[in-house]
Amino acid sequence: MTSSGMRTSNGTYRQTPFRNLPFYLLSVGLVFLAWQTAVLWMADTPRRFLLPTPQEVLARFWKLIGNGVLLHNAGVTLLEMGLGLLAGTTLAIVLGYGVVHSRMIAYVLEPVIVTSQAVPIVALAPLLTVWFGSGLASKVVVCALVVFFPILVNVVTGLKSIDPRLRDLFRMLEAPRHKVILKLEVPATLPAFLAGLKVGGTLAGMGAVVGEFVASTQGLGYLVKQGQNLYDLPMMFVAIFTLMGIALTVYGLLSFIERRALRWSVQDTTATYSEEEQP
Amino acid sequence: MKYIRWLSFVMVFVLLSGCAGKAAPSALTPINLPMGYVANVQFSPFYVGKERGYFEKAGFDVTFDYRWETDGIQLVAAGEIPFAIASGDQVIQARSRGLPVVAVAAWYQKFPVAIIALGNTPLRSPADLRGLRIGIPETFGASYIGLRALLKAGGLSEADIKLQTIGYTQLAALTAGTVDAAVVYANNEPVVLAREGTPFNALYVSDYADLVSAVIVSNDTMVREHPKEVQAFVTAFLTGLQDVLDDPDAAFAVCAKYVEGLEENAAAQRGVLDTSIEFWRAAHLGRFEAAAWEEAQKVMAESGLLEQTVPIETLFTNKFVK
Repeated sequence: MTSSGMRTSNGTYRQTPFRNLPFYLLSVGLVFLAWQTAVLWMADTPRRFLLPTPQEVLARFWKLIGNGVLLHNAGVTLLEMGLGLLAGTTLAIVLGYGVVHSRMIAYVLEPVIVTSQAVPIVALAPLLTVWFGSGLASKVVVCALVVFFPILVNVVTGLKSIDPRLRDLFRMLEAPRHKVILKLEVPATLPAFLAGLKVGGTLAGMGAVVGEFVASTQGLGYLVKQGQNLYDLPMMFVAIFTLMGIALTVYGLLSFIERRALRWSVQDTTATYSEEEQP
Repeated sequence: MKYIRWLSFVMVFVLLSGCAGKAAPSALTPINLPMGYVANVQFSPFYVGKERGYFEKAGFDVTFDYRWETDGIQLVAAGEIPFAIASGDQVIQARSRGLPVVAVAAWYQKFPVAIIALGNTPLRSPADLRGLRIGIPETFGASYIGLRALLKAGGLSEADIKLQTIGYTQLAALTAGTVDAAVVYANNEPVVLAREGTPFNALYVSDYADLVSAVIVSNDTMVREHPKEVQAFVTAFLTGLQDVLDDPDAAFAVCAKYVEGLEENAAAQRGVLDTSIEFWRAAHLGRFEAAAWEEAQKVMAESGLLEQTVPIETLFTNKFVK
């Protein structure tokens, strides 16, 4: 840990960006090595039809980039993810706030919310396509449903973890509701909320693909399905890798936002290590 | 002497036990058969073939595997399994991508895809499709090829209709009015609507185009190096198919063992079986017509589904069909 962190003037260690880059590159390299080995192993057998070579996938990638197909379909999926994340997050915040502050809302909603999570989204997706049409709306709803629960749970956890003495303090000072929200609840809930948002943001891609698998004419899920049905395995791989890239980017972006938004707490908690804590 | 007698007894017992343990080696080849769809009365020829021991007699212990037909084709191409059920267009698609699959017996003799519309939407000829909002499960596969064949028959192109990909929600989409017409399987949704007494109009692809339909798929290696196994499997399948055609009542009874909830939906499912049978009848069961393959490949190429066409003779063989 000491070798990968940056030592600050007060003797603490702060995480530096890209400190794990060599390890990431190593893991990606190992995957490609295993892939190429598998390809070579299957080269002279009929099994070669089950796995495209990295070169084939790369060639397909450039072709799909060149004709604009990949960017267009990635854009569609990103739009679905973005709108779904926005809708799911908004709903989670509103309902989470209601669940924490109203016993009646909690009693009424909690069983519904919890049991709704027991229904696999792939089973619901065809119905959503009927109810909301086969266009953008049904994919956004699927995304919103997927991201909703982890964010809701974290919002509720964050709100419930506020020190009651702080609430008493705000009450004693007769702070108005909006001051309580802005000065107490938002800052106190932010770490948990952002942690939930990171999970939700990553899951949004899965939601979009589930929606696209049911009925679609565009999007990365559509490309995967089209590749499967046209026996175009390289195209499937390109779409899957692009989805992985989007998920990693979204996660990285939300982690960056989290670090920026929680700078005030980072100095005292997880990402800072005191001299005594060093191994 | 007493010990020798006991020892002999024990030795005989051990030998017999050993023989009993080894007596079971089965000569049957276990195979998973990808069906391409959920358990359904449409697979009655296979259920009958298994139930009456035709596959067993052919040397196969068949397990039905309800996975997607594309997965089945890939596994057959890779030599992981010897046979699969798939639509002929998938054979063309796979072959054009270099997968060494080949159709060894025809199952459906008529293309079982139709376009239906509810109520007052007239569908007297393919030309009536102009301007309609048409729902389709996917923009590939049998449904899409059927649609393209009907458009071609009506002198139309995709630009003349409003095509919507709706997944397998055709009846719901029609009922909700989000589409004017939908591409369906002729032996499924029309049967359901007819049974419900819902008025509908239909255009059947088989009335306008002769396209290859569902087939038994194997691979080049099996055909070249194991023709006896292929012959045995095809014969078992065709025997089961003939049995269903001869006695649908008995076949339907066999299906109850394989199709969950069949008894609760007996009337509707019997309708599906009876309609399906009409798509299976032929003067020569299992036999292919080259023209049907040519027409299917032509429609697929015109639809932009194929990067390259392949010689028709590589797609199928009639050598296993009498």
